[in-house]
Amino acid sequence: MDDMPTRVLVLEDDPGLRTSLRMVLEDDGYEVVEAHAADRALELVDAGVDLMLVDLMLGGVDGFTFIRRARPVTEAPIVVISARDGVEDIVSALEAGADDYVTKPFDVEEVQARIRALLRRPALACPPTIDDEATHQPDGGPSQDEVVLDSAEGPLVFRPAAAQLLRGDREIHLTMTEYRLLSVLVDHLGRVLSRTALLEHVWDSGFFGDERIVDVHVRRLRKKLELDPTEPRSIVTVRGLGYRLDGR
Amino acid sequence: MTPRVRRPGLRSSVTAAFAIGALLLSVILSVGTYVSARHLLVEQRERTALRQAYADAALVRDRLRTPGTGVAEALGAVAPPSGATMLVRRQGTWYSSSLDQSGDDLTAVVRPAVADGGVGLGWTARTDPHSVVVGIPLPAVGAEYYEVAVADELDATLRTLAVALLLGAALTTVAGAGLGRLASKRLLAPLAEVTRAAGEISAGNLGTRLQDTHDPDLGSLVSSFNHMVDAVHERIQRDARFAADVSHELRTPVTTLTTSLALLQRSDELDPRSRQAVGLMADELSRFRRALEDLLALGRLEAGLDDSRVTVTGAGELARKALAASGRSVDLVVAGSTGQGPDPLVDVDRAQMVRALVNLYDNADLHGEGLVGVEVRTCDDRVEIRVLDRGPGVADEDRTRIFERFARAGSSRPGTGSGLGLSLVAETVQRHDGRVRCSSTGRDTAFVVDLPLVTPRGEEA
Repeated sequence: MDDMPTRVLVLEDDPGLRTSLRMVLEDDGYEVVEAHAADRALELVDAGVDLMLVDLMLGGVDGFTFIRRARPVTEAPIVVISARDGVEDIVSALEAGADDYVTKPFDVEEVQARIRALLRRPALACPPTIDDEATHQPDGGPSQDEVVLDSAEGPLVFRPAAAQLLRGDREIHLTMTEYRLLSVLVDHLGRVLSRTALLEHVWDSGFFGDERIVDVHVRRLRKKLELDPTEPRSIVTVRGLGYRLDGR
Repeated sequence: MTPRVRRPGLRSSVTAAFAIGALLLSVILSVGTYVSARHLLVEQRERTALRQAYADAALVRDRLRTPGTGVAEALGAVAPPSGATMLVRRQGTWYSSSLDQSGDDLTAVVRPAVADGGVGLGWTARTDPHSVVVGIPLPAVGAEYYEVAVADELDATLRTLAVALLLGAALTTVAGAGLGRLASKRLLAPLAEVTRAAGEISAGNLGTRLQDTHDPDLGSLVSSFNHMVDAVHERIQRDARFAADVSHELRTPVTTLTTSLALLQRSDELDPRSRQAVGLMADELSRFRRALEDLLALGRLEAGLDDSRVTVTGAGELARKALAASGRSVDLVVAGSTGQGPDPLVDVDRAQMVRALVNLYDNADLHGEGLVGVEVRTCDDRVEIRVLDRGPGVADEDRTRIFERFARAGSSRPGTGSGLGLSLVAETVQRHDGRVRCSSTGRDTAFVVDLPLVTPRGEEA
């Protein structure tokens, strides 16, 4: 499996941009499949892809709808590439299930970096930050096999090594990015992480990314693991600072 | 030179018109009342005087008929009415019940009528106040009887009446002015409403409309005002849509161009000449892209700040983020020269402010011979972000002009920036209630962004 090339889907209705992106990505060693419309792209998703670059404004079915339809089928990361830079567009694309958002015009290096970050194996291996090393607690650290996040009835258990999140006996499915976000939060259990820090750890883009990406992903994660997402008890918002994962 | 005459306001005009109207009306009424009352009273007085004079003349005549009775004796026997003087002229000699006045003077006005054998009635000004003079010929005794009655009651009555009417007229005028004031206020109330609405609209609150009214006179004003605002609103939205469409149309091709150029630049197969040409294209394309992004950012700024994006942020963090976003590493000093102070907080749209700072850094590199450092300091209730370069500085006369669109300082190289960078900075900073200025002192040139300092909520003093 490991020697199979990583397959990237480019869904973009502009043939020029589609072709140039394909060439750049092929140079990076990816296998690229192209689609100019959402219907064709969904067929390719069914055949299996590892990452998707998706434009929002397409003829026929638009990018938002594509993301909503593709998300249940695959956990592969979705990077939106769009000329639309309104907050509402960014938020609704992320809420539909996108993992990252890049606005046109972009430097192709930026897209390459985002792709690399999203394809990186969700690392438990997430290296501790410099200030972590001094204060690092051995328990709750990344070396643990199992972290109990919520010991209530139907305990919430995260198994980093197996990439599993369990509520009681039921497994909760996470997308790659949700999984990476949860891993980083678990690594810093009980400590506040700023949005910028989360952008750096999860998306590798602390200075470029829109902090709304973090907010929307936290919201998505809460929906999956909180008993009452409107009153989160595990992933807590620390006003003005960021987020903190509390284990109980 | 003719003096400038300031036209009075609508309210003053209406008030004045009401006052003048009331004054005219009351003057006409007063004068009419006075004239007719005076006429009536004078007539009444004359009638009374005439009746009295007839009675008295009959008494005097009867006395004189008695043989051997002198005129003085006859006059003495008749008691004169109060305020009246009885006079008798017989054979050129005047006899009077009082000795004050000469009969010739007092009766001059009626004597011709009496001489003709008729009864004379007239007024004389010889007394004070005026007197009514009645002359009756007494042919049976060869004499003329005159009675001069001072009209003091009439005079007093007329004076009182005049004063009362004058007061009434004055009161009416004042009341008229007050009514005018009230009426103008009521009339102008809808105008005040229109003014308020127009003010709100120009402040950017395009949802403001005038309330519907049942008043047919105001209805057309309200509906045409609201139609106008609808039209303006629609136009602004159309422009915004147009900008969005244009942006989309340009963004994708620009992205294709930069992506393709990146491919070309990586290629090993280019000879040096082609590589140079590709480099030129890449430079121009990045300039074009910057101009496009600046234009779009200016358009967004003109649409107003989106409150949902404004958050409290450290000014130092902003400066650092802008340095990182543009791939620069220069000295950043936060809050004072002695080590790291606390990061002063500002309330900004982070993305816009980072963009503005990147523009200032670009400007330092393009026109200031390189960015040398960034300083963040607090100054009372302001935060200053100072972007330092080692450039020649900006001439005094250019210091405000360089913040205009497509303006360049005289000495700078043409064709290096988008021409919008500094105007975008100025506009962004202004939207955040701040100022940007350029300060040059000898070798040091700094562009200073000055923003209001925010005190974090809940912090104890």
